[in-house]
Amino acid sequence: MICTRRQTIWLGGGAIASLAASRSVGAQTVAEVVMRGSARGERVWFDPFGLSVTSGTTIRFTNRDPGNGHTATAYHPDNYDRKRRIPELATPWDSDFLLPDEYFEVTLTVPGVYDYYCLPHEMAAMVGRVVVGTPGDVGWDHSTEDDDDVSDQVLAVLPPVDKVIAEGAVRWEDRS
Amino acid sequence: MLKKLTVAAGLIATTTTIASAHDEKALMNAPAGEPYVQVSEVLPLPEFIPGLGTLFVDPATLPAGPFLAYDHDGLLSATIYMTPLDDLQNGVSFDDLNLGSHTVSSADVYYNAGHPGVEKPHAHVVLFHDEGAKERLAK
Repeated sequence: MICTRRQTIWLGGGAIASLAASRSVGAQTVAEVVMRGSARGERVWFDPFGLSVTSGTTIRFTNRDPGNGHTATAYHPDNYDRKRRIPELATPWDSDFLLPDEYFEVTLTVPGVYDYYCLPHEMAAMVGRVVVGTPGDVGWDHSTEDDDDVSDQVLAVLPPVDKVIAEGAVRWEDRS
Repeated sequence: MLKKLTVAAGLIATTTTIASAHDEKALMNAPAGEPYVQVSEVLPLPEFIPGLGTLFVDPATLPAGPFLAYDHDGLLSATIYMTPLDDLQNGVSFDDLNLGSHTVSSADVYYNAGHPGVEKPHAHVVLFHDEGAKERLAK
Protein backbone atom coordinates (compact mmCIF):
# COMPACT_ATOMS: atom_id res chain seq x y z
CA MET A 1 0.00 0.00 0.00
CA ILE A 2 1.33 3.38 -0.96
CA CYS A 3 0.64 6.33 1.27
CA THR A 4 0.20 9.22 -1.06
CA ARG A 5 1.34 12.78 -0.67
CA ARG A 6 -2.19 13.66 0.25
CA GLN A 7 -3.06 14.30 3.86
CA THR A 8 -6.13 13.59 5.88
CA ILE A 9 -8.43 16.58 6.06
CA TRP A 10 -10.69 16.89 9.05
CA LEU A 11 -13.91 18.44 7.91
CA GLY A 12 -15.46 20.01 10.96
CA GLY A 13 -18.18 22.50 11.68
CA GLY A 14 -17.58 26.20 11.37
CA ALA A 15 -15.67 25.64 8.14
CA ILE A 16 -12.59 24.88 10.16
CA ALA A 17 -10.37 22.38 8.47
CA SER A 18 -7.24 21.37 10.26
CA LEU A 19 -4.67 19.27 8.54
CA ALA A 20 -3.49 16.18 10.31
CA ALA A 21 -0.84 13.64 9.45
CA SER A 22 -2.25 11.22 6.91
CA ARG A 23 -1.75 8.15 9.05
CA SER A 24 -2.89 9.60 12.38
CA VAL A 25 -6.20 7.88 12.09
CA GLY A 26 -5.91 6.57 15.62
CA ALA A 27 -9.19 5.18 16.85
CA GLN A 28 -11.12 6.66 13.95
CA THR A 29 -13.44 4.38 12.06
CA VAL A 30 -12.22 3.89 8.50
CA ALA A 31 -14.59 3.08 5.64
CA GLU A 32 -13.28 1.97 2.26
CA VAL A 33 -14.31 3.25 -1.14
CA VAL A 34 -12.43 1.66 -4.03
CA MET A 35 -11.98 3.07 -7.53
CA ARG A 36 -12.43 0.32 -10.06
CA GLY A 37 -12.42 -0.14 -13.81
CA SER A 38 -13.02 -2.94 -16.27
CA ALA A 39 -10.02 -4.44 -18.04
CA ARG A 40 -10.32 -2.29 -21.14
CA GLY A 41 -11.72 0.75 -19.40
CA GLU A 42 -15.22 0.41 -20.78
CA ARG A 43 -16.59 1.03 -17.29
CA VAL A 44 -15.26 2.91 -14.28
CA TRP A 45 -16.91 3.25 -10.88
CA PHE A 46 -16.66 3.83 -7.15
CA ASP A 47 -17.28 0.74 -5.04
CA PRO A 48 -19.47 1.29 -3.13
CA PHE A 49 -20.92 4.36 -4.84
CA GLY A 50 -23.31 4.93 -1.96
CA LEU A 51 -22.06 4.73 1.63
CA SER A 52 -23.65 5.48 4.99
CA VAL A 53 -21.32 6.32 7.89
CA THR A 54 -21.40 7.92 11.30
CA SER A 55 -19.98 11.35 12.01
CA GLY A 56 -16.23 11.27 12.37
CA THR A 57 -15.68 8.36 10.01
CA THR A 58 -12.59 8.47 7.83
CA ILE A 59 -13.26 7.60 4.19
CA ARG A 60 -10.32 5.97 2.44
CA PHE A 61 -10.43 6.20 -1.36
CA THR A 62 -8.11 3.64 -2.96
CA ASN A 63 -7.40 3.26 -6.66
CA ARG A 64 -7.61 -0.46 -7.54
CA ASP A 65 -7.87 0.14 -11.26
CA PRO A 66 -4.52 -1.02 -12.70
CA GLY A 67 -4.92 0.88 -15.94
CA ASN A 68 -6.22 4.29 -14.99
CA GLY A 69 -5.81 7.37 -12.83
CA HIS A 70 -8.72 8.53 -10.69
CA THR A 71 -9.70 11.28 -8.26
CA ALA A 72 -12.28 11.66 -5.52
CA THR A 73 -13.34 15.28 -5.76
CA ALA A 74 -16.14 16.91 -3.78
CA TYR A 75 -18.68 18.96 -5.68
CA HIS A 76 -17.91 22.44 -4.42
CA PRO A 77 -17.05 25.88 -5.83
CA ASP A 78 -13.51 25.50 -4.48
CA ASN A 79 -13.04 22.54 -6.80
CA TYR A 80 -13.16 23.73 -10.39
CA ASP A 81 -16.00 26.13 -9.58
CA ARG A 82 -18.60 23.41 -9.32
CA LYS A 83 -21.92 23.80 -7.52
CA ARG A 84 -21.87 22.71 -3.89
CA ARG A 85 -23.21 19.23 -3.20
CA ILE A 86 -21.81 18.76 0.30
CA PRO A 87 -22.98 20.31 3.60
CA GLU A 88 -22.50 24.06 3.69
CA LEU A 89 -20.31 23.94 6.80
CA ALA A 90 -18.08 21.17 5.51
CA THR A 91 -14.80 21.83 3.80
CA PRO A 92 -14.37 20.37 0.32
CA TRP A 93 -11.68 17.89 -0.59
CA ASP A 94 -9.90 16.92 -3.76
CA SER A 95 -7.68 13.85 -3.69
CA ASP A 96 -5.74 14.90 -6.80
CA PHE A 97 -4.92 12.04 -9.14
CA LEU A 98 -4.36 8.65 -7.56
CA LEU A 99 -2.33 6.11 -9.49
CA PRO A 100 -2.98 2.37 -8.96
CA ASP A 101 -2.75 1.38 -5.27
CA GLU A 102 -2.49 4.94 -4.03
CA TYR A 103 -5.07 6.17 -1.58
CA PHE A 104 -6.46 9.31 -0.02
CA GLU A 105 -8.26 9.75 3.27
CA VAL A 106 -10.77 12.33 4.43
CA THR A 107 -12.69 12.49 7.72
CA LEU A 108 -16.26 13.72 7.59
CA THR A 109 -17.93 15.16 10.67
CA VAL A 110 -20.79 17.40 9.54
CA PRO A 111 -23.99 15.31 9.25
CA GLY A 112 -25.45 15.40 5.79
CA VAL A 113 -24.98 14.37 2.19
CA TYR A 114 -21.66 14.52 0.35
CA ASP A 115 -21.52 14.00 -3.42
CA TYR A 116 -18.21 13.60 -5.21
CA TYR A 117 -16.89 12.66 -8.61
CA CYS A 118 -13.84 11.43 -10.46
CA LEU A 119 -12.35 14.36 -12.35
CA PRO A 120 -11.49 12.56 -15.62
CA HIS A 121 -14.50 10.26 -15.47
CA GLU A 122 -17.46 12.44 -14.57
CA MET A 123 -18.62 12.14 -18.18
CA ALA A 124 -18.74 8.40 -17.58
CA ALA A 125 -20.89 9.09 -14.48
CA MET A 126 -18.18 7.93 -12.07
CA VAL A 127 -19.67 9.61 -9.02
CA GLY A 128 -20.47 8.68 -5.46
CA ARG A 129 -22.41 9.73 -2.40
CA VAL A 130 -21.53 9.51 1.28
CA VAL A 131 -24.29 10.04 3.83
CA VAL A 132 -23.03 11.06 7.26
CA GLY A 133 -25.51 10.37 10.06
CA THR A 134 -29.25 10.57 9.49
CA PRO A 135 -31.74 13.35 8.79
CA GLY A 136 -32.62 13.54 12.49
CA ASP A 137 -29.10 14.49 13.56
CA VAL A 138 -28.35 17.97 14.85
CA GLY A 139 -26.83 19.99 12.04
CA TRP A 140 -28.00 17.63 9.29
CA ASP A 141 -27.51 19.35 5.94
CA HIS A 142 -28.75 18.16 2.58
CA SER A 143 -28.92 21.63 1.12
CA THR A 144 -27.25 20.84 -2.17
CA GLU A 145 -27.53 23.59 -4.70
CA ASP A 146 -29.47 23.20 -7.91
CA ASP A 147 -28.91 20.26 -10.22
CA ASP A 148 -28.10 22.30 -13.33
CA ASP A 149 -24.38 21.74 -12.82
CA VAL A 150 -24.48 17.97 -13.25
CA SER A 151 -25.70 15.76 -16.06
CA ASP A 152 -28.79 13.60 -16.02
CA GLN A 153 -26.48 10.58 -16.10
CA VAL A 154 -24.79 11.72 -12.89
CA LEU A 155 -28.11 12.36 -11.16
CA ALA A 156 -29.30 8.91 -12.22
CA VAL A 157 -26.30 7.24 -10.59
CA LEU A 158 -26.40 9.06 -7.25
CA PRO A 159 -28.42 6.75 -4.97
CA PRO A 160 -31.33 8.11 -2.90
CA VAL A 161 -30.36 9.08 0.64
CA ASP A 162 -32.89 6.75 2.26
CA LYS A 163 -31.60 3.82 0.20
CA VAL A 164 -28.01 4.54 1.25
CA ILE A 165 -28.99 4.73 4.91
CA ALA A 166 -31.12 1.59 4.70
CA GLU A 167 -28.50 -0.51 2.93
CA GLY A 168 -25.35 0.95 4.44
CA ALA A 169 -23.46 0.48 1.21
CA VAL A 170 -24.80 0.59 -2.35
CA ARG A 171 -22.80 -1.27 -4.98
CA TRP A 172 -23.10 -2.19 -8.62
CA GLU A 173 -24.11 -5.81 -9.02
CA ASP A 174 -21.31 -6.72 -11.40
CA ARG A 175 -19.44 -4.24 -13.50
CA SER A 176 -16.18 -6.09 -14.12
CA MET B 1 1.69 -15.70 -40.62
CA LEU B 2 1.71 -11.99 -40.42
CA LYS B 3 -0.72 -10.19 -42.55
CA LYS B 4 0.48 -6.99 -44.04
CA LEU B 5 -1.77 -4.04 -43.55
CA THR B 6 -3.10 -3.61 -47.03
CA VAL B 7 -4.07 -0.11 -47.83
CA ALA B 8 -6.70 0.40 -50.47
CA ALA B 9 -5.36 1.38 -53.81
CA GLY B 10 -6.82 4.80 -53.54
CA LEU B 11 -4.81 5.46 -50.42
CA ILE B 12 -1.46 4.31 -51.72
CA ALA B 13 -0.34 7.80 -52.43
CA THR B 14 -1.28 8.87 -48.93
CA THR B 15 0.52 5.89 -47.45
CA THR B 16 3.61 6.81 -49.33
CA THR B 17 3.42 10.25 -47.84
CA ILE B 18 2.99 8.80 -44.36
CA ALA B 19 5.88 6.43 -44.84
CA SER B 20 8.16 9.27 -45.68
CA ALA B 21 6.93 11.31 -42.73
CA HIS B 22 8.81 9.29 -40.14
CA ASP B 23 11.65 6.87 -39.75
CA GLU B 24 9.88 3.61 -39.02
CA LYS B 25 13.00 1.89 -37.68
CA ALA B 26 13.60 4.71 -35.25
CA LEU B 27 10.23 4.03 -33.63
CA MET B 28 10.69 0.29 -33.18
CA ASN B 29 12.31 0.63 -29.76
CA ALA B 30 11.43 2.82 -26.80
CA PRO B 31 11.84 5.59 -26.14
CA ALA B 32 10.33 7.12 -29.22
CA GLY B 33 12.20 10.30 -29.99
CA GLU B 34 10.82 13.77 -30.44
CA PRO B 35 8.13 14.86 -30.95
CA TYR B 36 6.85 11.89 -28.96
CA VAL B 37 6.61 12.06 -25.17
CA GLN B 38 6.01 9.26 -22.70
CA VAL B 39 2.38 9.52 -21.65
CA SER B 40 2.98 8.55 -18.03
CA GLU B 41 5.45 11.40 -17.65
CA VAL B 42 2.95 14.06 -18.63
CA LEU B 43 -0.34 12.57 -17.45
CA PRO B 44 -1.42 10.80 -14.23
CA LEU B 45 -1.42 7.33 -15.73
CA PRO B 46 0.61 4.19 -14.93
CA GLU B 47 3.91 3.77 -16.76
CA PHE B 48 2.69 0.42 -18.13
CA ILE B 49 -1.04 0.21 -18.75
CA PRO B 50 -2.34 -3.37 -18.88
CA GLY B 51 -3.56 -4.00 -22.41
CA LEU B 52 -1.87 -0.93 -23.86
CA GLY B 53 1.73 -1.09 -22.63
CA THR B 54 3.98 1.93 -22.28
CA LEU B 55 2.59 4.71 -24.41
CA PHE B 56 4.26 7.51 -26.30
CA VAL B 57 2.41 10.22 -28.21
CA ASP B 58 3.09 13.42 -30.08
CA PRO B 59 0.97 15.93 -28.10
CA ALA B 60 0.15 17.80 -31.29
CA THR B 61 -1.80 14.77 -32.52
CA LEU B 62 -4.16 14.48 -29.53
CA PRO B 63 -6.69 13.09 -29.03
CA ALA B 64 -6.44 10.62 -31.92
CA GLY B 65 -2.75 9.91 -31.81
CA PRO B 66 -1.13 7.65 -32.91
CA PHE B 67 -0.13 6.37 -29.50
CA LEU B 68 2.89 4.10 -29.83
CA ALA B 69 2.63 1.13 -27.48
CA TYR B 70 5.78 -0.61 -26.26
CA ASP B 71 6.09 -3.86 -24.34
CA HIS B 72 8.16 -4.39 -21.19
CA ASP B 73 11.29 -4.86 -23.31
CA GLY B 74 10.73 -1.60 -25.13
CA LEU B 75 9.65 -3.20 -28.44
CA LEU B 76 7.00 -1.39 -30.45
CA SER B 77 4.01 -3.71 -30.27
CA ALA B 78 1.00 -1.66 -31.31
CA THR B 79 -0.18 1.62 -32.72
CA ILE B 80 -3.32 2.95 -31.03
CA TYR B 81 -5.81 5.63 -32.03
CA MET B 82 -8.31 7.19 -29.65
CA THR B 83 -11.33 8.81 -31.29
CA PRO B 84 -13.98 10.55 -29.14
CA LEU B 85 -17.43 9.25 -30.00
CA ASP B 86 -19.14 12.62 -29.94
CA ASP B 87 -16.56 14.01 -32.34
CA LEU B 88 -17.35 11.21 -34.76
CA GLN B 89 -21.07 11.77 -34.31
CA ASN B 90 -20.60 15.45 -35.03
CA GLY B 91 -18.86 14.76 -38.29
CA VAL B 92 -15.24 15.02 -37.24
CA SER B 93 -13.04 12.60 -39.12
CA PHE B 94 -9.50 11.57 -38.31
CA ASP B 95 -7.72 11.11 -41.58
CA ASP B 96 -4.20 10.24 -42.69
CA LEU B 97 -3.09 9.19 -39.24
CA ASN B 98 0.46 8.05 -38.89
CA LEU B 99 1.60 4.50 -38.16
CA GLY B 100 4.28 3.26 -35.82
CA SER B 101 4.96 0.31 -38.10
CA HIS B 102 3.52 -0.69 -41.44
CA THR B 103 3.28 -4.32 -40.38
CA VAL B 104 -0.02 -5.17 -38.71
CA SER B 105 -1.05 -8.66 -37.60
CA SER B 106 -4.50 -7.88 -36.17
CA ALA B 107 -6.65 -5.03 -34.93
CA ASP B 108 -8.96 -4.55 -31.95
CA VAL B 109 -11.60 -1.84 -31.69
CA TYR B 110 -13.42 -1.24 -28.44
CA TYR B 111 -15.08 1.38 -26.26
CA ASN B 112 -13.29 3.26 -23.48
CA ALA B 113 -15.08 5.44 -20.94
CA GLY B 114 -12.19 7.90 -20.77
CA HIS B 115 -8.94 8.49 -18.94
CA PRO B 116 -6.59 11.39 -18.22
CA GLY B 117 -5.60 12.89 -21.55
CA VAL B 118 -8.64 11.68 -23.48
CA GLU B 119 -11.49 12.20 -21.05
CA LYS B 120 -14.38 11.95 -23.47
CA PRO B 121 -15.83 8.49 -24.05
CA HIS B 122 -13.97 7.22 -27.09
CA ALA B 123 -13.00 4.23 -29.21
CA HIS B 124 -9.62 2.55 -28.98
CA VAL B 125 -8.40 1.33 -32.36
CA VAL B 126 -5.44 -0.94 -31.66
CA LEU B 127 -3.23 -2.16 -34.50
CA PHE B 128 -0.96 -4.95 -33.25
CA HIS B 129 2.35 -5.22 -35.05
CA ASP B 130 3.04 -8.93 -34.50
CA GLU B 131 1.15 -11.99 -33.36
CA GLY B 132 2.56 -11.97 -29.86
CA ALA B 133 2.00 -8.28 -29.28
CA LYS B 134 -1.36 -8.51 -27.54
CA GLU B 135 -0.05 -11.02 -25.02
CA ARG B 136 3.02 -8.93 -24.28
CA LEU B 137 0.93 -5.84 -23.69
CA ALA B 138 -1.64 -7.64 -21.54
CA LYS B 139 0.16 -7.20 -18.26
